[in-house]
Amino acid sequence: MNDSQNVKARQVAAAPPNAAVLLRVWTLIGLQSFGGGASTQLLIQREFVQRRAWIGAEELLQLWNLCLFTPGINLIALTILIGRKLGGTRGIAVSVVGLLLPSAAVTCILAAGFEAVQHSTVVHAVLRGVVPATAGIMAVVGANFAAPVASRAVADGPRIAGISAAMIIAVTLSLTALKLSAAEVIVGAALLGVVIFTRWKGGASLPEDSFPLSDRSSLP
Amino acid sequence: MINPLIYFLLFVKASLFSTGGLSNLPSLHQDLIGAGWAVDAQFGESIAIGQISPGPNGLWVVSLGYLTYGFLGAILALFAIAIPPFLVLGVAAVFARIARKRWVDGLMRGLSLAVIGVMASVCWTILRQPGVIWSGWLIAGGAFLLAASRRVNLIVILALAGALGSIIY
Repeated sequence: MNDSQNVKARQVAAAPPNAAVLLRVWTLIGLQSFGGGASTQLLIQREFVQRRAWIGAEELLQLWNLCLFTPGINLIALTILIGRKLGGTRGIAVSVVGLLLPSAAVTCILAAGFEAVQHSTVVHAVLRGVVPATAGIMAVVGANFAAPVASRAVADGPRIAGISAAMIIAVTLSLTALKLSAAEVIVGAALLGVVIFTRWKGGASLPEDSFPLSDRSSLP
Repeated sequence: MINPLIYFLLFVKASLFSTGGLSNLPSLHQDLIGAGWAVDAQFGESIAIGQISPGPNGLWVVSLGYLTYGFLGAILALFAIAIPPFLVLGVAAVFARIARKRWVDGLMRGLSLAVIGVMASVCWTILRQPGVIWSGWLIAGGAFLLAASRRVNLIVILALAGALGSIIY
């Protein structure tokens, strides 16, 4: 994996964007993300982490973790957290509007014209090509998220690295082979993480800036 | 006659008690059919439109709003799905308060590993869908390589996949 994926939160030096830039970036993400959530996630990683370095790869994953505990569409929750981090309250407003309004407008237009296209064999064939492509795109999203996790696990030694890999495989199998619900598996993995990774003894407690959830507008 | 306030609240309720894009379907189906404000076919149509339109999958609800109640329905549905995710600000506030506790780092590591596993299982589930044959695996592999290279625009990748889909199927 590329080094730029391992940018730590506090190494991100790029200046935060103004509201107009943020609105434009989110609008383009909303309008380009055909094929659903995998496409939106990849565009968010590309724009915010890789291209503009406004957010670190690990930081984005932490924001996403919080979205798992939020009702409704997790990607909108992620948009809210990214918007707040980059622009405070105004950042939230332009991010949510940028992601949702143009793509919702396109959705309405498609709904109005659906009668005309629904029986088209071309549309169905195109969809059958796009759907498997989203699996490949989701794999890249997962690999991008895995990069900072892997480098940290490797730095912690072979035992932690092995346990981490085993947990990823166990989660995958619980969902695909055992058909457990995602909520059960996620909560189980989180509790297991507390048991396995917590260092109860020794070392100082974590410094305040280890967690990147403060919004930039509140900084001096 | 559709009562706009109740219609809106039904959409909010469905979104509030769901997580992810399609899990609000059963609640909306039961409530809207029960009220006589939607028919079965509109649900299938909305989900299909959600698949071909850009944006998160959850926007299928906007097309359901449009099909059942016109532009007003679409706007009400859009607001209804946009509001519940704001609770993430509460989740973040709770997290900020506990972030320095020793066990929280382990919790987040466990969650991160789970997220990666969930994504792997989503890939697997898509590729195991009925109708995805060996050519689907090839398209997925090609999309993976192009997306991982970072040089190719996502729209180009999806357009290539769509073109291949229309040639093969």
